[in-house]
Parts: sequence; C-alpha cells; structure tokens
Amino acid sequence: MSKTTNFEAGRRARRISEQAVAWYLEQQDHPSERQRAAFLAWLHVSPAHVAEYLAIAQMHGDLKAAASMETMAAADLVEQARRENPVVVFPLVVADMARESLASPQYRHPWRRTLAQAVACAAIVALVLLAGWQWRMTAGNLRESYAADADSIRDVRLPDGSLIQLARNSQIQVRFDARYRQVEVIRGNALFAVGKDPSRPMLVRVDGHILQDIGTVFDVKRDADSDSLTVISGRVRVWNAPREGAGEIKIDVPQVQRSGDKIADLTAGEQIQLSSSGIGTIRPGQVEQATAWLPRDIRFQHETISDVAQRFNAYTSTPLVIEDARIADMQISGVFHANDPQAFSAYLATLPGVRVVHDSDRVRVIASSGAGDTKAGSL
Amino acid sequence: MFDKHKTWSKLFAEKGASLHSYLLRRVAHRWDAQDLAQEVYLRLLRIDPADAASIRNPEAYLFTIAANLIKERAVMRQQSPLSSEGLEEVIEQLSTPCSAEADMDRELRQQRLGVLIQRLSPKCRAVLVMHYRDELSYREIAGRLAISTNMVKKYIVKGLAACRQRMADYE
Repeated sequence: MSKTTNFEAGRRARRISEQAVAWYLEQQDHPSERQRAAFLAWLHVSPAHVAEYLAIAQMHGDLKAAASMETMAAADLVEQARRENPVVVFPLVVADMARESLASPQYRHPWRRTLAQAVACAAIVALVLLAGWQWRMTAGNLRESYAADADSIRDVRLPDGSLIQLARNSQIQVRFDARYRQVEVIRGNALFAVGKDPSRPMLVRVDGHILQDIGTVFDVKRDADSDSLTVISGRVRVWNAPREGAGEIKIDVPQVQRSGDKIADLTAGEQIQLSSSGIGTIRPGQVEQATAWLPRDIRFQHETISDVAQRFNAYTSTPLVIEDARIADMQISGVFHANDPQAFSAYLATLPGVRVVHDSDRVRVIASSGAGDTKAGSL
Repeated sequence: MFDKHKTWSKLFAEKGASLHSYLLRRVAHRWDAQDLAQEVYLRLLRIDPADAASIRNPEAYLFTIAANLIKERAVMRQQSPLSSEGLEEVIEQLSTPCSAEADMDRELRQQRLGVLIQRLSPKCRAVLVMHYRDELSYREIAGRLAISTNMVKKYIVKGLAACRQRMADYE
C-alpha cells in the first residue's frame, strides 16, 4: 500500500470513529425520532459503521475505569489545559528581509534602515493563542492604505469583521489575499479587534516584528526607538523566528513546533516593548494607559450589537462575547462611556431574550431561553 | 505490565492452554468479530424500510441483533450461551471469545485506554477525565474550562475517536 493510500485510509478510519462516537453519545441522550432515523441510516451505509459503533460501545464501557487511572486533580488538569498552546495549527511566520509584500509603491518607507535592523536581529513572531475558533467564509481580497489625520481618530472596519482604530496621525497598510490578512502599522498607534478567519491568519507587522492574531484585541504603538504591544484581551505568544529565505512571508507549520524558541507569553492586560535589539520585560496593568488615546464615549446609531461590543472590547480585559447569532445581529443606538462596559452589558440585559453571564475572563451574552449558549464557535 | 504477564501465565497454566492455541483462538476470534459485525449489518439491511421507521430505539435493536447472533453462534459451537442478556455482556462477547479471557482482556484494555487518555492533548484529557472520572456534566466542564458546552462535546468526540483509533492499533 502506498503512503498516500495509508494516509487516506487512516483519515477515513478516524472519520468513521468520530462519527461513531458522536452517534453513540447522541443515543445516550434521548435522541429525537429524526435523530434515531438518521442513526439507522448511518448504520446502513456500511458494515464498517456497524463494527465501529460496536467497538465504541465497548470502549465506552471501559472509560470510567480507564479515566480513573488519572491521578491529576481536576483543577490541575484545567490549569494545564488553560496553558495549552493551541499554536499547533498556527503557522510560523518568517519575516522576509525584503518585505516587498507589504510595501506599496505609493508611499516611501525607510526600507533600507529597517532592512539592516531586520537582518541584525531575528524577527520576533507573536502568535496569538485562542482556544476554539470558527471556520467561516473568507471576506474578499483587499489592498488599501488608511490614515487618520491630525484632528480625529479613525475607525477602519475591514471585510473580515476586524475593527482597527487609528489614533491621530497614524497610518496602516492593509493587504488581504487568499492566504493571509496582512496589516502593517506604518506610523502612530493602532488598536486591533481582529475578526475571526482561521483560514487566513492576520499578520500585523510592526517594523521588525510580526504579530499574528486570531480573534483577540491588542494595541500597537510605533515609536522612534521601540514599539510596544499591549494585549487588551486574549493571549499572545512571542516567538523568535528563524531568519531564512527572502521575498514573500513564509509560513511553515511544522517548523514552529520544532523551533520552540518562545520568547514570552502575554495575557490580557500585559504589555511588552519590541525593539530591533530584542524585547523588554512584560509589564502588567498598562491597558488604560495604552488605550488612553481612544475616544471617551462610544456612540452608535443602528449598529449591530456585535459591532458595538467590539468597540467596548477595546477598553476591557473582560471582553463581551456575543454568543447568540440572533442577538449579535440586533441593531441598537446609544451613547455610553467607553470605560464603563458594565453599563452597556446592563443595558443589553434589559433587551428581550437577552441574558448576560459574567465569567471571570469574559462577559457572555446569550439567549435567555438558554438555547443560544451552545452555539458552535462562540468563543 | 509485569504483573499482567504473571496473571496471564498463571491462567495459561491453570487452563492448560498453550500460548499457541491461545493466539490461534485470538486470531480466529478477530475473524469472528468482523464476521459478527458483517452479519449484524446484513440483518439490519433486511429490515423493511416501512418497519425501520417504527424502530423506537435503533441502538437497542442493534444490540439485540448482536446478542441473538452471539447466542446462535454459541449454540452452534455448543459453548455455554450468555448467562444473561445484559448489554455489557453482549458487548464484551463482541471482542472476547470466552469469559475468563474477557476479564483479563478488559483489565488490559482499560489500562491501555488509561494510558492513551493521558497522552491526549491537555484539553481533551481534562475534558475526558472530568467527564468520566469525576462525572461532571458537559455544562459543568464548560464552566471550569471557560468554553461552550458544544466545544466540550467536540473535545469528547475527538478524544474518544483518537483513543479508539489507537486501541485499534493494538488489535
């Protein structure tokens, strides 16, 4: 049997196992008539399904005894799971030296200086950790430069649902294609609330560093001698990327697992300095300072709850998570103090069919029927 | 593992079974298990579609077919039939040829499974242990891990499927 065929066979076997487990669990949970019919139809597809189902049923009988061999306490297991690095599928980003990929011909950028710096030090790659994600359709391609003038803060809403707020006199360059969402912070200060699109990683370039984000909120500030990264919510891992190759950004999944030269872990409310000579130490509690440039009020007119929640999440380490799709799409209008997300969540709780649940690290907004809180990919 | 081997050899001595014949029976049994699944499948197919709609509990139906087949097989071979129709026993019979070996097999299987659970990703491991050892509900686990109950279910499906695949490698 060829390697490919073996691989295919293994994948098929795993898929059947997963289906058998899912059916098995469903049968133990008072299946509806429709579910029972679907289960019977699944069994009819192949004797392999029947065999696998019987095997799962047998294995299930052993689980209590097998799981009881585990000596770790539940709290330790939870802690270990929390620290788990779901970076496994996240790509390694190798900063290319030429970096033409982001340089747009319409404005000049001191490439030569940064080129020298980039060569002088290993690029640092930050991978943002996020447990669980949702596969969704990718938004369109895009190539655009955005700048905020000296008078006001500018909001840039991107087709993938990301909201980038630009401080006065700031500029970013955005380039979305089929593989990546790339944003370069050219100057100034930008706050990212990144929409989820795991099939196209969001890469944020800050001089010699690359931050990868999938669905968290963070602030990037460019400065003459060093840049700073502040994580508002979510987690960020900073990696040392090997210097190799030139031209396009190179992404290599297995390599990041091998390289393992992690520099730092940042969690909500932490800040770090990034400079061409390396990184500083992680400092806590700088969120308010980092976001001081953001507007003090949040005003919205006929905006969806999910868009408004994203604005509030720029200010707080306990983000609002709208878990119910119907609620997320409801349109609201109002004015709130930006630093008072509690007032906003209290307001949401007054809406019909809405329930607000305060967890330690997030505020979940769910349907009050209780039906909405198990929606897939709601993290 | 060493103790395990001692138990095995003791059993072999008591039963006067040579390793050779034991292995032969194991191999023969693997064919049995496959044949059995095949036969269960064929019987499932023979159900009239009109009757299929009236099956209130397809899972119980499936196990009944399997139990009947095992009984038939036992009669054919003049082995002792199932002492009861307990589900657990039926399931056990699916994989092990006789009851003495069933106990031993079960213990070995459980140990292997225990090791496999510990090798799962931290999240899968935490979810499986909290659910099956500590008997926490999906909702309780979801709360502890700050994930949705749906994700808990996904981890259980993934974890069990991974265990099952690796258990199959032992066979």
